[in-house]
Order: sequence, then structure tokens, then C-alpha cells
Amino acid sequence: MTFHTDSPADTQSLAAALAGVLEPGDLVLLMGELGAGKTAFVQGLARGLGVDEPVTSPTFTIVHEYEGRVRLAHVDVYRLERVQDLYDLGFDELVDDGRVTVVEWGDRIEHLVPTEHLVVRIEPGAADNERVLELTYHGARWHERRELVEKLIDDGTRG
Amino acid sequence: MLLLGIETATRRVGVVVASEDGMLGRVELGGHADDGPPRHAERLVPAIQYCFEQLGVPLDHVSAIAVDVGPGMFTGLRVGVTTAKVLAQALRVPMIPVPSLDLLAYPLRHARTLIVPAIDARRNELYYALYRAVPGGVQRASDYEMGSPEDLIAELEARGEETLLCGDGVLRFAKLFGDVERVDLAGPAHAAPSLAALAELAIARYEREEFCGPDGVLPLYLRKSDAELGFDRKEG
Repeated sequence: MTFHTDSPADTQSLAAALAGVLEPGDLVLLMGELGAGKTAFVQGLARGLGVDEPVTSPTFTIVHEYEGRVRLAHVDVYRLERVQDLYDLGFDELVDDGRVTVVEWGDRIEHLVPTEHLVVRIEPGAADNERVLELTYHGARWHERRELVEKLIDDGTRG
Repeated sequence: MLLLGIETATRRVGVVVASEDGMLGRVELGGHADDGPPRHAERLVPAIQYCFEQLGVPLDHVSAIAVDVGPGMFTGLRVGVTTAKVLAQALRVPMIPVPSLDLLAYPLRHARTLIVPAIDARRNELYYALYRAVPGGVQRASDYEMGSPEDLIAELEARGEETLLCGDGVLRFAKLFGDVERVDLAGPAHAAPSLAALAELAIARYEREEFCGPDGVLPLYLRKSDAELGFDRKEG
């Protein structure tokens, strides 16, 4: 399923709507080039999870954690070089222990993560600020929630 | 002698203070899956402080620090081992590293069966090892292994021996292990490595002068990979 947004604020609203279905243990992998709007997406997601703090890019710190309705871990794996780096991050425990984990440059680690995850690919659209977001559902839990996700996004981004 | 023991190989935070006459006090916090994300970093130092305050003993009376070095929960071990090393350095006392699986097996040393502790390694895997009771303790009869519950079940079925399983990894997959013949599961009381065992084993080692400096203490990480992360780093 693909969605179109016209501005970073629009991308944030879409992400905030998606946050409505997120539960502890959920993993979201973001894919898209530099400047695609991955951080804007996470900012919207955080807002939707009730996070009050400003969300900044964790490119150099690798992981930022936020308190919200559900705890949120914002991970950027751009600077990781080896599979061992991911283990040394305690990544499995991060995902396993009662928070929502969202990963920028998720394509780098998709072969290492649990079956249950959502992929959000963000590509530039035809217009300057337009973005095309493609959601791909992996695992039984995400397939079950597919209709709800799409309804929430439709409702949340209309008008 | 006064021993401080630190144990953070599972979701639980454990602190024990003991002398050669036995345990003086201990604190155990968390461990239950419903407890939310583990908070080893927030809980460990206050727990140590609480123990010493309540016992009315100054921290600098400690003559050795024992620490569980895993295998186990990555984030927990990182906090526990680092804290233990920093304290040992500051107090200038020796350290006694003890593996988590030994601490799970030791309290079951009166069982006349194969004893198999298993710790949750996440991503559907376990850290485990096989032990047998010997006079005064247990002896490890395998390497420290990492594998799926199915791997361990296949090994137990091939052996066909009476076996007692324990540890949080066994509880997590209790349904799977419960169906294996001749296998018994120890309950939640045996989910986390034993603080009593840490005190007892470490004091015995201290008396035999089997200790080391902080440099010699490293967590036992069984999960290793040299593989590179794939990346088409397309520059924007």
C-alpha cells in the first residue's frame, strides 16, 4: 500500500496516525535515501506516541530513547559496519523489551531482525516536497493489523 | 573477609553481601517480564548503596568483588560487569568472575539428574550448558552453547536421560520443554542466577586465591559475527 504526502508536516501526520496501532515490541524499519524524510517520519511517530521531547537524529549516538504512551527507541544504523556492531548495541534486547523500535537505514539490517516487522519505504515523488510512502507488512501480527493501519492513516491524513 | 557480589545476567538486578560465615544481605529487583524494560543502569548502584547502608558497613570494608560475567542479557552484563570493575579499581580489591549458568546449576546440585540451565538469548535462542552433580557442587559437562529451544530439545531427546531444566530461557519456552519426556522444569525460583551461589562459590575461590584484577574480567559473549553489514551507500 502506498501513500502520498506533500510536505514534511504531512509525512509527520501520517506517521502520527500510524502510531495509533503501535504496541510494545513492534519494530519499524525505515528505508529511503538521505533527505527522504526518515527523521520527519520518526518525529511524527513520536508525537503520535505521546512523546513531549524534541526528536533529533541519532546518527552519531546510534540510539535515542523517549518516554511516551509506549517507550520509543529511535535507532540509526547508518554508521554501523559489522553485524557484531548490532549485537554490541544490544539490539535484540531493545526490540524484545517492551518498547517500539524504529530504525533508520533499516534495509541494512532487515536480514537480521525478527520476522514480525513493518517496512516503510520513503521515496521522492514528482513534485519537490512530495513523498511516496510504501508500507510492507511482515509477519502475522502486522498482516492482522493491515486494515486498521490503512484506515487510521486515511482518517489521520484526510484534509 | 567481606564480599560484594553483582549479578545482572538476566532481567533481574541482584546484589549480595557476604562473609565467610554466610550471606549478610541481598537485594533482588525486577526480573518479571511484566516489569517493563529492564533498568539495570538505574537500579544497580542504588541497590548496592541500600545494602551497605542497611547493614551499617562502609563500602571500603569490602575485600573482593564477585560478578556474574554471563552468558546472558547483553545490556545487563554491560552494566553489571562495568560497575563491578569500577568498584574493584576504586577500592583496590581483587575480582572473582563467575559464569551465569554455573550460578543457575549450583543450587540444584542435590538433583541426581542431568542439570541444564538455559538463559534467554533473545531472537528465539538460548544460552545453555549441561551439568552433573559432584560431591560439594556441580561440574560442567559441555561447552557454553547457544542454540534454539529445538536444538536443546534434540540434544535432550538424544540423551534420553532424566533432566532438570532451569533458568528464564526455560520459563520462556516452558510449553515446548514441558512436552519432552523425562524432563522436569524448575520453577520461577530458579529463573535467575542464584545470589547465594555467587556468594558461596566466590568466597571459596577467594580463599583459594583464585581471583584476578579488573583487567582480567570480561563478559562471556557467545554471539559473535565478523560479517559486514550490507550497504549500498548511495550518496545523495
